[in-house]
Amino acid sequence: MLAEDFLAAIAKADRADAPSMSARRFVELILRAWPFIRPMLKHIVTLLAISAASAVFIVVLWAVASDLLMNKVLVGDRLQPLQAVLLGAGEEYVTTEVADEDPMTVEQRRIVRDRLLIWFGVGGLVFLGGLATLPYYGTWIRHNINQSLRVAMIERAEHLSLKYHSHARVGDAVFRVYQDSAMIVNLLEEALVGPVTVVFWMTLALFLLFFLSPEVAVAVVAVGIPVVWLTVKYTPRIRRRARENRMANSDLTSRLQESFAAIKVVKANRAEARILERFDADSHRALNAAFYLRLEIVLLSAIAMTAGGAVAIAAEYVLAGWVIEDRETYLGAAVAALIGYTVWNLGAFNYARDQVEEVRGNGFWLIRLWCMVQDLFIGLERAFFLLDLEPDIVDGDDPSAFPVPLHSVACRDVHFSYELPDASTLPVLQGVDLVARAGSVTAIVGATGSGKSTLMSMILRLYDPERGRVAFNDIDIRDLRVDDIRANTAIALQKNVLFAGTVADNIGYAADGKTLAEVEAAAKVACADEFILGLDKGYKTELGERGGKLSTGQRQRLSIARAVLRDTPILILDEPTASLDAVTERQLLANLGEWGKDKVVFLITHRLSTIRDADQIAFLEDGRIVEIGPHDELMARPNGRYRGFVEAETVGLQAAG
Amino acid sequence: MSETTPLEAPGNQSRREERAERLRYDDRIDLDTKVSSRQAAVLMGRSLKLLAQARGLFAAKFAFSFGFMASALLLPWIGKIITDNVLLQEPFGETDVPYPPFMQPLVVFVDGMAPMEIMLVVAALLMLMLLVFGTRSGSFEEVGLFEGADAATQGENAISAGGSGAGGLWGVAEYMVHVRLTQRLANTLRTRLFARLTHLPMTTLDDQRIGDSIYRVLYDTPQVPGICYQLTIEPALTLIWGAVNLYLIQYTYSDVAPELVWIAWSAFPLAFIVTFPASALVRRTNQAKRAAGAATTNAIEETMDNVYAVQSLGGMRRDAERFAERSRESFLRERFALAVGIALLVVVLGLMVVAAIYITLLVTDQIIEGVMSPGDFFVIFGLIWGILETATDIGSFWIKLQGPVAAVRRVFFFMDYPVDEDRVHGPRLGPISQGIEFRDVAFSYPDGRRTLSAVNLELKMGEVVAIVGPTGSGKTSLAYLVPAFLQATAGRVLVDGRDLADVDLDSLRSQVAYVFQEHVLLSASIRDNLLLAKPDARDDEVLRALEGAACMDFVGELPDGIDTVLGQSGDTLSVGQQQRLCIARGLIRDTRVLILDEPTAALDPKTENELLEALRSGAKDRLIIVIAHRLSTIRNADRIVFLEDGRIRDVGDHDSLMEKAGGPYRRFVALQGG
Repeated sequence: MLAEDFLAAIAKADRADAPSMSARRFVELILRAWPFIRPMLKHIVTLLAISAASAVFIVVLWAVASDLLMNKVLVGDRLQPLQAVLLGAGEEYVTTEVADEDPMTVEQRRIVRDRLLIWFGVGGLVFLGGLATLPYYGTWIRHNINQSLRVAMIERAEHLSLKYHSHARVGDAVFRVYQDSAMIVNLLEEALVGPVTVVFWMTLALFLLFFLSPEVAVAVVAVGIPVVWLTVKYTPRIRRRARENRMANSDLTSRLQESFAAIKVVKANRAEARILERFDADSHRALNAAFYLRLEIVLLSAIAMTAGGAVAIAAEYVLAGWVIEDRETYLGAAVAALIGYTVWNLGAFNYARDQVEEVRGNGFWLIRLWCMVQDLFIGLERAFFLLDLEPDIVDGDDPSAFPVPLHSVACRDVHFSYELPDASTLPVLQGVDLVARAGSVTAIVGATGSGKSTLMSMILRLYDPERGRVAFNDIDIRDLRVDDIRANTAIALQKNVLFAGTVADNIGYAADGKTLAEVEAAAKVACADEFILGLDKGYKTELGERGGKLSTGQRQRLSIARAVLRDTPILILDEPTASLDAVTERQLLANLGEWGKDKVVFLITHRLSTIRDADQIAFLEDGRIVEIGPHDELMARPNGRYRGFVEAETVGLQAAG
Repeated sequence: MSETTPLEAPGNQSRREERAERLRYDDRIDLDTKVSSRQAAVLMGRSLKLLAQARGLFAAKFAFSFGFMASALLLPWIGKIITDNVLLQEPFGETDVPYPPFMQPLVVFVDGMAPMEIMLVVAALLMLMLLVFGTRSGSFEEVGLFEGADAATQGENAISAGGSGAGGLWGVAEYMVHVRLTQRLANTLRTRLFARLTHLPMTTLDDQRIGDSIYRVLYDTPQVPGICYQLTIEPALTLIWGAVNLYLIQYTYSDVAPELVWIAWSAFPLAFIVTFPASALVRRTNQAKRAAGAATTNAIEETMDNVYAVQSLGGMRRDAERFAERSRESFLRERFALAVGIALLVVVLGLMVVAAIYITLLVTDQIIEGVMSPGDFFVIFGLIWGILETATDIGSFWIKLQGPVAAVRRVFFFMDYPVDEDRVHGPRLGPISQGIEFRDVAFSYPDGRRTLSAVNLELKMGEVVAIVGPTGSGKTSLAYLVPAFLQATAGRVLVDGRDLADVDLDSLRSQVAYVFQEHVLLSASIRDNLLLAKPDARDDEVLRALEGAACMDFVGELPDGIDTVLGQSGDTLSVGQQQRLCIARGLIRDTRVLILDEPTAALDPKTENELLEALRSGAKDRLIIVIAHRLSTIRNADRIVFLEDGRIRDVGDHDSLMEKAGGPYRRFVALQGG
């Protein structure tokens, strides 16, 4: 993905209108998420099956038990035949279907009650058993799904080209990998199965209600129509709010990250109060976004709930009238075998009312779910946006093997420009030609901003040239595997990036399977051994945040040791000795010369003493190599660019000598 | 590092131990995480103090909750009327059970009406309650969004999910108040914590991981509103609700069921006794899950912030693996905490199920024997259930607070951590006019590394001083003492004769500009990067500073000039250009003291000399301290301070130092010149 596309995508996402979320996009996102959910499918199905089974058990138990409790135990009616079977009660308990039969005796009611309570106990055990195991099982499933998505996102983000990263904020990546990705855990169970189960229970309740009273069932359905219409109208507003909520919280995370990454500068400039002000402003923006998003949901719910509640109360009024009239229920005698609801009575009234409540409660929950799903999809959209960015540095179709042994590294007419955030470009390399051979040291010299580090990035294939090519043994590096290129190139960076961890970890970063002895040997080459042993735990000393406890010169030497340890055919040292004193520097260069005898070594530096010993010196100016050759040869050129540079450096030093 | 390297694996067990240590090591400052029950109580008390920031909202929330509760009292009695007097068509006063006083107006009003007339009145009343309180229509208890399965992703809901037990108009209003209340509490705490973290001493910040700071500020603070709510409104409402129910039971069923009340109340001590021994376990598992979450955040943050290095060094796979390990550990710790929570919940609910069955047994006995009417079952069961819930709630009140306490401890740990400003309440420093003096100064890091010993030195205003010495000789430590980024562990640093330890830090640092070796730029425009140092700088000041640091040649070429927005950490510029911008940022404040820490990489010798010349002539009474290796820079300084092993070996100007035969500086120069 090119930077322009990325910027266009950002601009599109920033447009004020609601993000469109067509049914097709929904399906696409679900399909996109499917590979992460698939491995857990077996467990999800198991979990849902167990949950459904225990729910059905409890619902059926309650349907029968409510009749038993109210009509039989409390009032004294005789049992339906099946009820008697369930309770293990004899003939004498069963209704004779005669109009004026005697109620159960007090003793019989007690026995029915006792046995009913045993069933309650069983129901309680099922409930508690499920409660103890199912949430843990469900969480385990969610964690596994989320883990695989998070890791995939991090891998993708690490492989995205630097073009992407120079425009993206660290905090945004944190937010996407963390917060946005978490939405996937709810996709299957909550966003898909959730509404389905809710609709199922709603339909079941409507169905049961229908057998008691079709009129009430129709009324309940009728009130749903305007509520659905309203919800549809409301949806774009909720999406807009949900997106703003996520963007605001992502920005807050970025603000926090950037504040702490720059904390030294902040403190040096007494800017603490100012960054606090900005943090507070960002924090308020995030809180407001959260507030207004939920307020939309609350208002929509309030309207829907009031409408539903009004119908329920009206239904109760009508049903009360029917109970008083002893009116026959719609199904009447057909259900008499199991439940005594042939006519409207106390039990039937309560049962019907419960069904209305069930429909209404589920309807309410469905609206809530709908709103939550909008936010969920906005989150997933943001997570997959990152995952769907294509790294523009990718392996070719049929990559060649890395050339062994490596004889030469060559740049042929290499052109490159940086793209700035406003989509304009900044030309850096404008036709670089350079050949470096194994066993030689090439010093790259030039003013700041002349493109020295960028040229090295081309050799690592961190960027592809716009024109021209970089070749190893005459093989265009675009025909090699990216991993092979970087595995065969070691670089000591100008920005001495250290990672949290021990000294040994940092030297061993990206060099697999090295022994402690090898780590120590590399440290010796880099003149780092001595100071490392002087640390309180030697090679096991924990470094501070970004290696904060070490001086720049010490960090520099760890970077070099890291490059040396990897023992690759190409070695790049980007300003390796800028912060070293002359003694250490001399020692280090001597060590490197000995160690790197058969390697292609690139050296970027300002230090004359370092440059002088190089086999060839490439002088870079305005994105081109204007002079190339050994020190003495270049110094012999009258008015040579390199000679001018050397003279400026040594000005006034003669007196010092 | 591969799994099999001898580095990690002399033996399986020690490897595991080391790995465990490493995981714990992500916290390098906050190591003693145990909390006793007494400390937990103290932390709760401190959380409560935040309520002072939101008195009005708090009072409003309390009033709303109380009002709704009053409305909820009517509901069971309305149910009784529908059952007994409408459906079963019994006249009022048939059973021994009297209606409570607050129902009397309604009872008197409908007494003697036909059942359907009563139903009409009741339905009208219910409609009114529906509109106002959302009675029986559901509530806005929690308007949560979907959240993930770990604490970090649950914070947003904890702050903003709000709630009201009511629905309807009342519910909407109460909901708004509630969300604003919890947001106010969380925001107060997180901005305070943020401020506190930015004020940590430099040495502490070296150890404080950025991801951990993000975690504490954004994901630990959301637990505070919950604690405040659970300590105030919730128990108050629970107790009031319990008392009202108790009164109703006494009033209406005193002869019928006194033992029921006692049975229900016994859930209170039972729940407490059963759960209390687990409180330390809950705190520990919650602390572990949060520490593991912070480690995960560290891993993402570090990888993303250093992606250039990660890619250059080919560390993508290694970093992804490290992240995966952290994330897996974090999820595992989440599940440990969850398992403990579930176990406790099951125990408590088990108690309730047993109690409910027993209550049903007793109540149905009364009904079967004709002492109570069938309608009474629902009322009395509802009331007793209410007491039972109350009793269990109060009984598990302590245990429910332990998880949030673990999070709040992590917040207050840094609120209590000593910062620079705690030390200084001294008088403000006037414009520095004489200079800076070091008297017998020594400095050691908290971990014992000694970087400076017995430093005696006087720096006068108007001088350009070069600090020179081998790598690791203490140059930066010495310079850090000037703006009090570090505090001398022995001896005194005096500014104009006043001990730095006694002066107001702000008045000191506002007069010292420090340009660091590491160039840190914000992903903002060039102008904004300079305005960070001086927010009210005019354009011409910005341009002058840029010119002074030799930035104009490349800034002028950028399409938007000083308004060009830099990429993440300034990536679009070369390192040298970035460092020049940092120098410009040091210049714009035009401070009395300017410290340049190794500007060599940024400036070619010519530019550097021009810069120093310009600074020197521009303000003669300024003090400029340059840490440098480059001879051309050093020799132009008025004085050279040569450091070795943390001690000053030589002080003087270039010529006089060069005259000392065998002097350390001369030796140094000889090697440098090569």
